[in-house]
Amino acid sequence: MMNLAQQLREQAKKLLEEKKVDLVIGFGQGTELARNTPVFIDSPEGVSALTWGPFCANNLAKYLVDYKNDPGSTAVVVKGCDARSVNRLLDDNQILREKVVVIGLPCPGQLEWQKVSAEIKPGSTLKEVVDNGDSYTVKTDSGDYTFNKKDYLLHRCLVCENPNPVISDITIGKEIPVKNYEERFAEVQDLEKLAADEKNEYWNKQFARCLRCYACRNVCSVCTCKVCAFDQMQPMWVSKRTNLSENTAFHITRAFHVAGRCVDCGECDRVCPMDIPLRKLNVKIHKDLGELFNSPTPGTEPGLISPLGGFSPGDPEEFM
Amino acid sequence: MFKRLLEYVGFEPGRFKARWLSGSEGAKFTTTVKEMTEKIKSLGPNKKMRDDII
Repeated sequence: MMNLAQQLREQAKKLLEEKKVDLVIGFGQGTELARNTPVFIDSPEGVSALTWGPFCANNLAKYLVDYKNDPGSTAVVVKGCDARSVNRLLDDNQILREKVVVIGLPCPGQLEWQKVSAEIKPGSTLKEVVDNGDSYTVKTDSGDYTFNKKDYLLHRCLVCENPNPVISDITIGKEIPVKNYEERFAEVQDLEKLAADEKNEYWNKQFARCLRCYACRNVCSVCTCKVCAFDQMQPMWVSKRTNLSENTAFHITRAFHVAGRCVDCGECDRVCPMDIPLRKLNVKIHKDLGELFNSPTPGTEPGLISPLGGFSPGDPEEFM
Repeated sequence: MFKRLLEYVGFEPGRFKARWLSGSEGAKFTTTVKEMTEKIKSLGPNKKMRDDII
C-alpha cells in the first residue's frame, strides 16, 4: 500500500512539474491515524502530503466542480466508486473532460474509521497497512492490529460493484477482482418485507433525528444545482423547520431528486452526523431502477442515459 | 418509482396514485377519481410523518 502511495506521489509530481495540471486533489493523513483528509496540492514539492490506504473514504470527485472555471486542469485521485461520480459529472456537463486528469486507484475496500479508531490506542502513528485479502493489518508504533474486512469495511464496500475505476487516465496498482461480502439489496429487501406501519416507525425514528445540516446534499457528487430547492426562500418548497414532517419531505425529495443519477458512492450516509441510513433510500431506488428499467448503477459507463431522463417504448407504464 | 419510494418509507399502498388520462377520456377520469376517493376514505386521514401527532 505504501508502495502505491509512492507511485501516486511520483505521478502527481510529474503532472505538476510538466504543468499538465495546476492542482492535484488527493488524500492526505488527517489528525487521527484512521482519518484521512482531502489535500489540494499546487506545487511539485507538496506531493509528499499524498497518501493512500484503507482510510480514504472521501469521494473527491465533487471538488472538481469547484475548480471547473479555473483556467488550468485539475487532477483528482479516485477509487472505483468515485470514478462513477466522474462519469456522472461529465454526463451532466459539470466538468470538461480535457480539463480533468483522473488518477485511478483500484480499491480493496475502505474501513469504517469509527470502528477502527475504537480499537487502536489513541495517539498511535501509522507505520504501514498490509492487505491480506480478507483483512487488513494496520501496523502502528503501538503494535499491530488486524481488521477483518467483513466486520470493519464501510457497508458500501461490502457490496462494492466497481473496485477498479471505471474511468481513469493514470491507473496506479493492479486490478482487483470484485468481491462482495453481502448481498447488495439484502438490507433493502429486509425493510421492504415489513408492514407499512413498521416501515413508518423505522423511518420516523431516522428522520426525526435529522438536523437539516445538509451535509448529505453538500457532499453529494450529483447535487450540483446552482440554487438548491432547499435553500430557496421564494418559493419555499420545503420549510426550514426541523420537524418530522419537514424532514421527511426533505429526505424523500433529496433521494428522488438524485434518482437515476446517484452513483451509490455512499458519501451521504458516511457524512451524516446523526447516522441516518441515507443509503437505504438511495439503494432502494437503485433496486427499483434495476427491476423496472433494467438499468445499471449510474456512472458505470460514460454516456449512460438516466432511466428517468429518457424514454423507451418498452418502459413499464403502471400509470396508464 | 416515486410510489415505490413512498411505500418504502411507510405510506400505505394506495395513498399515492399517478394516472395518465387524456382530455377525451372523461369516463375513465370519473372512475379513477371515484376509485381513488373510495380508497382514501377507507384508509382514513393520513397520520404518517406529521409533526402534530408526536
